[in-house]
Amino acid sequence: MSAPSDAEVIGRSLGEPEAFGLIYDRHAPSLLRFLGRRVGAKVAEGLVGELFRIAFERRKAFDPSRDNALPWLYGIGSNLLLKHRRGEARRLRASAQMAAARDRVDRRAGAAALDARLLFPRVADAIEALPDDEREALLLFAWEELSYQSVAEALALPIGTVRSRLNRARARLRELLESKGKGRERSR
Amino acid sequence: MKPVDLARKLRREAAFEPAALDRGKEALMAAIRQEVEPRRRPTIIPQLPYENVGAALAFLERAFGFQVIPASRLEGADGVVHHALVEFGDGVIGIGTQGAHGAISPMSGGIESQYISVAVGDVESHYQRALAAGARIAREPRDHGAGAHAYEAFDPEGHRWRFVHQRLREIR
Repeated sequence: MSAPSDAEVIGRSLGEPEAFGLIYDRHAPSLLRFLGRRVGAKVAEGLVGELFRIAFERRKAFDPSRDNALPWLYGIGSNLLLKHRRGEARRLRASAQMAAARDRVDRRAGAAALDARLLFPRVADAIEALPDDEREALLLFAWEELSYQSVAEALALPIGTVRSRLNRARARLRELLESKGKGRERSR
Repeated sequence: MKPVDLARKLRREAAFEPAALDRGKEALMAAIRQEVEPRRRPTIIPQLPYENVGAALAFLERAFGFQVIPASRLEGADGVVHHALVEFGDGVIGIGTQGAHGAISPMSGGIESQYISVAVGDVESHYQRALAAGARIAREPRDHGAGAHAYEAFDPEGHRWRFVHQRLREIR
């Protein structure tokens, strides 16, 4: 016998609430990593608790035609992260420093290394400057490796809207990176 | 490099302690238990005796909007219901066969020894529903002191029910 789908487990939890614990067992590790990436392990632990309490309270509203509850849980997590924007921005800048240092070690060469030192903080700033909805779609796609369909389920959007949002985010990143680059060249 | 690939370069591996996972599970299960327990078991559950439990349950659902808790139904081998819990709002009462715990239905005993008061949001619509279901009205809806609006009805075996709306603003 195959394991019951998330939809079946959530359905069962309507009459037998303790069954919802299985949803935690299945998905809490992914969500702890997701939230940890964004705001650090300590804050993530508190958020994951909040996330599952909200999910439990809203379990009646879960769309039973979706077998996998993970995108739905990501969506709740994305909403919770909005309250932690400042911490997230700090972490993103630190990640940029780390990425730059890593790249320097990788390449060991003058011009490319200088590039990385300038480039990654710019990427961080550009991600940071995206509107909330575009940043969220981009990071679910690029960092969590969710499919368009899953991003759509997480953010409760039609898939076409996700596609256009990601395209806008790409265009904006390109634009922000280019305009800053030019600005620097001109000021030299 | 493409924008998404650049964004990907800033992705970090995020480790967590296994203990954090356990703490989260414990907190969730505690929250679930807290959420569920009070609804399942109020501290006090009145038990009402009836000659015909099945008919009483049907009437209470139809006329008063009570709901039988399915898992609580006790049936004999013959399919006759002996006892069931019904709920309304956050209240629960038991409906059982008379004599089982010494209590007697008003229909057999010829006397009502108590009445039950039930808070409702809208007395008039509740009254209309009971009337349409054939409930015998003991007292028509009217205003009482201290902002209460209420009516009283008998169920088929003569238990008296009072349905009342208390306007909060007028409570001192």
